[in-house]
Amino acid sequence: MNKFSKHKHLITAYIVSFFAIAVTILPITWLFLLSIKSKGETFTKPPKWLFNPTAQNYIDLWDNDLFKDTFVNSFFITLISITLSIIIAIFAAYALKRYQIRFRTAFMQWLLLAYMLPEFLFVLPMFAIYQTIGIYDTYIGMALIYQVHVLPFSIWMLRSFLEEIPKEIDDAAYLDGCNPLQAIYKIYLPLIIPGIVATAILNGIWIWNELAIALGLTFFDAQPITVGVASFRGYASINWGGMTGSAIISMIPMILFATFAQKHIVKGLTLGAVKG
Amino acid sequence: MKQTPYFFLLPSILILAFTSLYPICYSIYYSFFNWNWGNQKDFVGLSNYISLLTDKKFWIIIKNTFVFAFFACLIEIIIGLLLAIYIDRLKFGSTIIRTLLLIPLMVSGISVTMLFKVILDNMFGIIPYFLSFIGIKSNFFGSYDAAMPTIIGLDVWWQTSFVFIIILAGLQSIPSEPIEAAKMDGATEWEITRYIRLPMIRSLIFLVLIFRSIDTLKVFDIVWGTTGGGPGLATEVLQTYAYRVAFSFLEMSTSMTIMVLFSFVVILLTAIYSKFNKEIYE
Repeated sequence: MNKFSKHKHLITAYIVSFFAIAVTILPITWLFLLSIKSKGETFTKPPKWLFNPTAQNYIDLWDNDLFKDTFVNSFFITLISITLSIIIAIFAAYALKRYQIRFRTAFMQWLLLAYMLPEFLFVLPMFAIYQTIGIYDTYIGMALIYQVHVLPFSIWMLRSFLEEIPKEIDDAAYLDGCNPLQAIYKIYLPLIIPGIVATAILNGIWIWNELAIALGLTFFDAQPITVGVASFRGYASINWGGMTGSAIISMIPMILFATFAQKHIVKGLTLGAVKG
Repeated sequence: MKQTPYFFLLPSILILAFTSLYPICYSIYYSFFNWNWGNQKDFVGLSNYISLLTDKKFWIIIKNTFVFAFFACLIEIIIGLLLAIYIDRLKFGSTIIRTLLLIPLMVSGISVTMLFKVILDNMFGIIPYFLSFIGIKSNFFGSYDAAMPTIIGLDVWWQTSFVFIIILAGLQSIPSEPIEAAKMDGATEWEITRYIRLPMIRSLIFLVLIFRSIDTLKVFDIVWGTTGGGPGLATEVLQTYAYRVAFSFLEMSTSMTIMVLFSFVVILLTAIYSKFNKEIYE
């Protein structure tokens, strides 16, 4: 009896997981299948289960300069943002680990708050000042405003990775006469490379997927892929091939990256409060 | 050197001041003006606040935002918690299940929008097609009653794995001794979950609740992309409304007033979280 009830729990658990996976994966699979159907077959009723796959929708997207540009723009905005945030965050995280700092709690609270603020709060003030100083609709402008979310996250994450390094290593470095810059560069940096990669990936995913700020602060030259995907959502005549194909293209890199950062994702989602 | 740490913190402080303090101050300042994209800026005192807070429409939007946040959070936490409890019991396969369930979380809101616009389309969507067999004529995004539940459904599909992943990590980190002891005493699996596991991850559930509630209050992408706030005001939420007020009605100060009021709510929730969870700073 006891054994049976134990197995009953396991069987329920597998059935539940099976349903959860089906609900998660089926919509994306369906979207992908539609994206490789030819125009005439997309919405036949009943749906065609057997069809000749075609890459035509993806070829069209590749030929669509507007969409291709948004992909390239997103790539550079993401790259600049994460590079900037990691470089700045390493020093801040090191200072928070190594030194007694006045207003430490206030600083950490400020980080949390900046991370949480609603996106549209930034749009109008930044719109005004970006127009004035001429960085509206540029990579730099986008990378700069994204720091409000990405920088607190990086400081928080890198700090929690630094905390795992034993204090003895730290003391030894000082006894050997390292100055703080050398200590960061020669000792800490190599030790937290996995942490830096994970932080960069998680930040990259957020930036790649951001829409609200991008809608307000880009017009043409720096439009990211989310705005590119959104451009296919027309009401009058819907470009189904563009909708399905562009959505799939924007998903693929992030799903791949997420699989790489798997190990650190829990830590990332909770700002380092929980170890993964 | 005594100044070294402050020197290291300086770049972060400067950037955060520019990207967070400046927008807040700017928004508060211009919420006292009447500014509609032109050069004319008249000081109007509190009148933006008064006209917003006496506007019935604005209260409908506040209600919508909180209805969305409440139900989305509630459903996500219930499903995420149950999934985590079940999958925590699996001795094998839980890593691959976790990897697969993580996928929606990595997808942008606008892609989720596109995905469900295709699947739920009245004419061509696969789900309305199946529903038509049992005689249901569905109109997911277009009808006044169905639009909000549909968007809540989108958010549930998109974000439930956030709850699931964190709770699962919490459950897996519980030491096995108390659970073994309870088993010896003849406790059933559900009793162990109810009286041992869940109390042990209480603070984690609280963290998930705060993160999800702030995030759902801030909803933008999936509303803007699907219904754009319609039909009527059925799904208009604070951030989509602030966007519309600024870029369609061209009332900058009103839009900033909305964001100032909204930011106070977010600041309040963040403060509650930090008060109850002091250890995250140390």
